[in-house]
Parts: sequence; C-alpha cells; structure tokens
Amino acid sequence: MKRRVLNFALAALLSGIAGAFAADPLPSAESILDRYVQVTGGKQAYAKRKAEIAHSTVEFASLGIKGSMTRYAAEPDKYYTSMDIEGLGKVEMGINGPVAWENSALLGPRVKTGIERAEAIREGTMNSTANWRKLYPKVENQGIELVDGEECYKVVMTPAEGQPMVGYYQKKSGLQVKLTSVASTQMGEIPVELIASEYKDFGGILEPSKVTQKTGPQEFSITLDSVEVNPAIPPGRFDLPPDVRKLLEKAPTQ
Amino acid sequence: MLPRCLILLGAAAYAFGQNQHQLDLDSFEKVWITVRDKHWQTKPGGLDWQAIHAEYRPKVEKSASPAEARSVIQEMLGRLGQSHFAIIPAAIYSVVDDEEGGPGITGIDLRILDGQAIVTGVDEGSPAEKQGVRPGWQILRAGGKELKTIIDPARSNPAIHELQLTRAVAARLTGPIGGTVDAAFLDASDKTIDLKVNLIQPRGTLSAFGNLPAQHVWFEAKKLGSTAYIRFNMFLDLPRVMAGFQQTVENCKPCDGLIVDLRGNPGGIGGMAMGMAGFLVDKPNQRLGTMYMRDTTLNFVVNPRPEVLAAPVAVLVDGLSASTSEIFAGGLKDLNRGRVFGTHTAAAALPSAFERLPNGDGFQYALANYISQGGQPLEGLGVTPDVEISLTRTALLDGHDSVIDAALGWIRRQKTP
Repeated sequence: MKRRVLNFALAALLSGIAGAFAADPLPSAESILDRYVQVTGGKQAYAKRKAEIAHSTVEFASLGIKGSMTRYAAEPDKYYTSMDIEGLGKVEMGINGPVAWENSALLGPRVKTGIERAEAIREGTMNSTANWRKLYPKVENQGIELVDGEECYKVVMTPAEGQPMVGYYQKKSGLQVKLTSVASTQMGEIPVELIASEYKDFGGILEPSKVTQKTGPQEFSITLDSVEVNPAIPPGRFDLPPDVRKLLEKAPTQ
Repeated sequence: MLPRCLILLGAAAYAFGQNQHQLDLDSFEKVWITVRDKHWQTKPGGLDWQAIHAEYRPKVEKSASPAEARSVIQEMLGRLGQSHFAIIPAAIYSVVDDEEGGPGITGIDLRILDGQAIVTGVDEGSPAEKQGVRPGWQILRAGGKELKTIIDPARSNPAIHELQLTRAVAARLTGPIGGTVDAAFLDASDKTIDLKVNLIQPRGTLSAFGNLPAQHVWFEAKKLGSTAYIRFNMFLDLPRVMAGFQQTVENCKPCDGLIVDLRGNPGGIGGMAMGMAGFLVDKPNQRLGTMYMRDTTLNFVVNPRPEVLAAPVAVLVDGLSASTSEIFAGGLKDLNRGRVFGTHTAAAALPSAFERLPNGDGFQYALANYISQGGQPLEGLGVTPDVEISLTRTALLDGHDSVIDAALGWIRRQKTP
C-alpha cells in the first residue's frame, strides 16, 4: 500500500499537476472506519445507545423459506437472538459474559468454544461499529476495488483471535457495502459474504435495512424492519437457557 | 435433498416440433453444463471438462440415432468414473412412469421381495386392513396392470434401482381420494383375492418445507416389550419429529434399548440426522461424516444433548432407506453407537437429482460428495448392515418381521452378562 502512495506522489511531482493527485492518496484504514462511524450517526449517537431490540425478516429465496429474527443487545456484553424459520423451528444464540451459546430445534444446545466463541462475542458486542478499535487491533487499507460499479476502499480488519474481516467502504458515501470473511463454525470454516444496502435511519443511526448473506452454498437475505432504541429488556432475556446451563455443569471447562 | 422420484416427472419435458437430432444435441449440452456447474469438484472427476466438450460434441453431432447419441453422452459421463451419473433411456420411463395415480392411498406398504410385490405392512384402520389385506400377501395386479410386467423388465435393467421400482409399483395402488383401485392378491393359502380397495388421505400430517412439495409426515413410537421403537416416514416436519424423537429417548431411560426403524425412509433434512444422533452419542466432537461441495466442506457434527441415552441402539434399513437415513445409519455404525439391521440401503446419500432432458431421456447427477465417518462414501455404496437380514413372505404371513426380531434379539443379548 505504501509503495502505491509513493508512486502516486512521484508521478505528481514529475508531471507538475500535483493538485490532481493530491486528493487521491489512499486514506488510512483508521480514517475510513472513523468516517463510517461518522456517516452512520457519529460517536454521540452510538454512545447514547445502551440497548436495543431489532426486528428483522429472513428469507432463503432459492429454497422458498422465510422466517423472523429478533435480536436483543445491551451494553457491555449481553446479546440474544431468536430466529423462527418455517419448517426448521427456533434457533437461539446468545452471549452472556464469557459464554457464547446456541440452541436450535435441529441440533440442540451447545456452548461455543475457541475461535467460534471469540467471533461470536465480537459480533455480539453492542455498538461494534463505533468500538472497532477494541475489536480489531490491526486494520489496513488495501486499496480501491469496485463493488457494484462503485469505488470502495478495501479494509482488512484483523482481530486478536480469529480470521480477518474484509470490509468494503464506498469512497463516495463512506458506507460499508460489503464484508467478506471466513466463519469458524463447528461444521467447519465457511466463507461468508455480506452485501449491505438500503441504509436507513433507525433511531439516529444509519443501518443497512437489507443484508444479503452468502454462506457457502446458501444465500439468504435479512431485512431490518425496526429497531427499538434503549427499550426495557425483558427480565432474564440474557440468562443462559436451562439446557445450556446443564451442558456447562457437565463440562465446565467449555 | 430428497432424491427425485421418476414418477413425479411428467412427459411435459418433451419438446414439440423440434427434430430429434437437435433434441439430442440440446440434451448433450444440458448434461455437460450441469456437470460443469454443479459437480462438487471444479475439475469434475479430475478431468479438463472443456476438453471433454470438444471431444464429445462432434460425436453427438455425427450420431445417426437417439441411441447412438445417448451412448456418446453416457460414455462422456463414464469418464467421470463416479457413481450416480447416468442417462436413463426415455423408453424406460414408459415402463415405470405411466399413470402416476393420485394422492389417495390404500394403507398398504409393500416391498419387492424375490421379484414379487409383497404386502409388508397395512395401516391400522385403513381400507386395506378393513378389507382383510394382511402382511405377506402377494400383490398380483393393481390398477388394471399385472405387476409382473413392471417388475420383471425393471429388475433386469441396472439403471432402475430398488427405490424407483418400489415407488413405481406402489404408485399403482394410488388414485384420487375417495376413489377405488382394483387389485388382485395372493393370500396366505395362495388363493387369488380380487378387491376394490378404497383410497383415503395419506397417513400423517401435511408438512411443507420451502420449495419442496408438501409431504404427509408421520411419526410413531411404541414399546416392544421393554424396548423403545421409533419409526417415521421422512426426515421432515422438524419440530414435531424431533420432539417425538426426544420424548421417546427421554421415556427410554428405564428401557433396555432403542430401535430406530428407517426402512422406507427416503431422507429429508440432512441436519436432522445430526440432531437425533445428539440424543444417542455422549462423546463430544464426534461427527457422522463430511460433505464436500465445490467451495465448502461441512462436517456433520454431533452435539451431545444434556441427557444422552446409554442403552443399545439398533437402526433398521432397507433398499428404500436413502439420503438422511443413510447418513444417520452409516454415521452411528461408524461411531460404533448403533448396530444396523436389514438390507443394503439405496446408496443415494447425496443431494442427487433426476431431471428430464430435452430428448426425453432421464439424467441423474450428484451435487456433492459425502464421506461417512468410517471413511467410506455413501454415494453409490450405501450402508451395508452389520446384520444383513431381509423380510420374507413366509415370516410376514406368520406375523413376524424378521428384521425387528433380529434387532430385538441383539438388544436382549446386550443385557446378558
């Protein structure tokens, strides 16, 4: 990346049209991520958000399957998501302190471990957009790529534990429009690609109201319908389900 | 994915007004493109698939007849050196594909045993039971057709598997709900019985899952002495079937074993095999097998439940046990957690599909490779039972299911010190 900046500067000096290139040097990854925080509402807006309940619909269009998803989150490390998918029943996921868990009608309860646990905790962090510095010790702008014909900065975000995430931020708007990563799951490492679009204001923060996710061979879309900002979270919402507690009692080292 | 059934595919795929040679060329292209785009290896079978096109397209262009074109396409698929890639001549469909029947059923379950269609079960309270049909009876004729004329040519054709043949024969006993079907049987004393059997709603609850046509799904659990017994017709209707499985296992704490009867079960949602195994496998980090797709490898992991059954588990299978049934049976066998009884399974454990080609031929292809935990692919090989035992007409007429008897005997012996 540094060589590319140097080449731009050298070319500008030689051609005598420095002004034309001065606006083009690649911005730092830090400034791109900070700009994203800014254009989606700013630090203040995120700081005001202590808890939220988000309601979404989920659709696996090629399979003809639909569902609903409700996500609860509260500072600093509480997270619970419940999905109801037609024909597959309920899938719950949660974070409570150091415990990341999942419980589904299909596979039953389990406690996540290792990298999968680290990824779940990171993704369940409240206001993760504004808190990127805590989550990704290393960030790097790797240049410009086109996403849907729009120039985007390609930013590689490397967490302390787990594989890097690659975010694509529109040069023009500063919005994140794509994210790629490799998810560590109990079924194996699965490439994931998210395409974010249709940003809307949800309680003072711009969020993509539509996310299309490709996970291995599956593709589904999540439409964010509404967000309750700083609501009263039902008591016990983040408690570990009884079956998850039983598993922890059975194998406390998990 | 459920393997598609030949009888579900109608003649609509035939194109009108096109000459046969063009249809053969279109069929070649469809087969070649399908393998290129859907095979789990980017180089299907390790071959340069583009070069294969260049080699075989001119041969199809030069073919003088549909049979010659089919032979070229089959030869091309043969270069893959893999099972479940086959061209099924259009003429075969006319043997097993005519008259689909309808949704109405008689309540008769059947299998082809030694080349004869034999009643292996009769639903309680069904019209067939009320009219006296009993397990062990041979079905001679149904819907005006001698079943021998379906069974004999199909058995001599290796392209038609037991699963397809049995479904084709069973389809002769279907029709509109409220209607009747004429059938002739050979009873226990080898006397011919002619019956007009009423047709009723299929057993079970209609359950939809995405784009799959809604299916009637039933689940039954009972005690055979002190052994728990589970049988369900499909790995679908997840909430109800999983809950039924869980309840049976929980109620089995004082029982001496569990029989999971997957005979006739064509599969369904693959993940349900993992979910059910979690009630039976106590050791963490176990898997039933691994599925290999083009970009992704998925481990079929087992999450031990908080309460896991410790008693012996017998899994019953036959040639109609396919897909998820094979993943479940093969995985438990490989993990030494279940003993498998019955006959060799359908060997259709992958998301394989049947499609009709523009020239009317059938095309079967696999989308992924699945390796059971023991290291053996299930596709094309299936699950070989630990104890190979088949139903017999004689035993059925005596009121015995020899496969269940063998499983019960094994479970009882596990208690003996």
